[in-house]
Amino acid sequence: MKILEDIKYHKEHTWVKVSGKKAIIGITDYAQEQLGDIVYIDLPEVDSEVEANTEIAEIESTKATSSVISPVTGVVIEVNEELAESPEIINEDPYGRGWIAKIEIEDPSELDDLMDASEYARFIEEEGK
Amino acid sequence: MRLLVIGAGPGGYVAAIRAAQLGAQVTVIEEREVGGTCLNLGCIPTKVMVASSEVLHIVRKAEEYGIIVNGEVVPDLKKIMERKDKVISTQVKGIRSLFKLRNIQLVEGKGELIDEKRVRVINKQGVEEIIDADAIIIATGSRPANIPAFPIDGKNILSSDDVWNLTEIPKSMIIIGAGVIGCEFACIFRELGTEITMVELLPRVLSTEDEEISEIMEKELKKKRIKLLTSVKVESAATSDSGVTLRLSDGKELVAQKVLVSIGRSFNSEGLGLERLGIEKGQKGEVKVNERMETNIKGIFAIGDVTGGILLAHVASKEGLVAAKNVCGGDEKIDYSVVPSAIFTSPEIASVGLREFQAKERGIPVVTGTFQYRALGRAHAMGEITGLFKIVADAKTDKILGVHIIGAHASDIIHEGVLAIKAGLKVKELADMIHAHPTLAEGLMEAAEDVHNMAIHKAG
Repeated sequence: MKILEDIKYHKEHTWVKVSGKKAIIGITDYAQEQLGDIVYIDLPEVDSEVEANTEIAEIESTKATSSVISPVTGVVIEVNEELAESPEIINEDPYGRGWIAKIEIEDPSELDDLMDASEYARFIEEEGK
Repeated sequence: MRLLVIGAGPGGYVAAIRAAQLGAQVTVIEEREVGGTCLNLGCIPTKVMVASSEVLHIVRKAEEYGIIVNGEVVPDLKKIMERKDKVISTQVKGIRSLFKLRNIQLVEGKGELIDEKRVRVINKQGVEEIIDADAIIIATGSRPANIPAFPIDGKNILSSDDVWNLTEIPKSMIIIGAGVIGCEFACIFRELGTEITMVELLPRVLSTEDEEISEIMEKELKKKRIKLLTSVKVESAATSDSGVTLRLSDGKELVAQKVLVSIGRSFNSEGLGLERLGIEKGQKGEVKVNERMETNIKGIFAIGDVTGGILLAHVASKEGLVAAKNVCGGDEKIDYSVVPSAIFTSPEIASVGLREFQAKERGIPVVTGTFQYRALGRAHAMGEITGLFKIVADAKTDKILGVHIIGAHASDIIHEGVLAIKAGLKVKELADMIHAHPTLAEGLMEAAEDVHNMAIHKAG
């Protein structure tokens, strides 16, 4: 299972990569593994507002439907349209081509509440027990 | 007992047969064709369309099932309509032969009450006939509602009746009203290739269903690339060569080749001479009846859509049975406490009893259990993993109050819930019942278990 170093993690198994005021979010490799084959993602609308710790998208896999929880607050500036046709990309490349949305963040201090790679690694190890 | 039934839809024809079984001498007057809206314009022809669109859907994803289809897969509306006509004519013949078997006389024409015992019929040739009766059942049904903002012209602005005159699959269509009829046609035509936009005045589709069911349906519509606009009113419609332009309450404009209006139904209570007899009608023109299905005039009964209650064919049939019994000396009352409904969208929806929001409105403390289709082996084998079972139960007594299903074959599976509620079963009793494996019905058992957080195949 992959955990990347340069991004932040939310306990609901989403990741965020920030550069300036822009953030890219997605779900973690652990999350996609738990979900199994993803068959659909209900993407947010561009220009919609999202709040940290609330649902930004909904994913359906062959096993379950589950909420994607946004790690940050802000406005959606772009969504990954490619996922509408091929949601399985999230399984294949959750940190890369499987990104979900780009968000203009409101409050960068929210990032301090998130985990770094080693903290997230410990977190999922705990959760797995 | 000489009984006269006006209207041979699922209310009228069932009442006629039952009364004949009970010994009445029955005459039925029908202006169009036996079977009424249900058989000729509604339930049955739409299900023929649903069947064709399902075949198309399956063939299109045949490869997922390991079946290679070579060549083009194209729907042929003309052939679909021919099949529809064949299905209808078989059913029509069936009703006509049941009438013959029971010595029920069918008079084709338009009936009008002269007094409490006599009806004038003008047949298709314009010949007038007076028929005497000891009792009369009015079963004239309903028709698509038409409102001035978007007048139905049958060509570009269609009612659900006009759909059957289409000769080509429309390129684009706006559906006004996201109720049962609107949602069914949206799913059918989308599969056939039409670009669909739905406009709904209320905040959600299928507003009488449980909110969780509406939510899933909305998502399914989105998956099909059906555009849905809610909480919006259509202000006006203008027809031109290129199609119809609708102006919406939010200032936006929509253009499509065709518009389908599915905003409700009007009652066929005019021209029947009801006013002459002083038969009471409600504000919307519905004929008022008591629990025995009798109007304020003794011996004159009314059943089905024209009474304005629950506009469902199977409710009309039940009302017909009650009226027939009462005509023949019985004293039966209609019971609406357990009425299932089925919506033939893709996926299907079926429900019976209390919705969760209704429980809240009525202050009934309830607990719910849910279970997803995608957790069932059979659903995976079928390739139909979208769907949800939901049970609403009394928090104190554990009695099942409502069952709601969205997913493949919901309209068949619901009857287990209907029986459970009718029999007053508790959640535990349904959960304890052995369900065959692998079936979709197992999902109902799991949803029952989930009410007590004991579903086997559910995480968390």
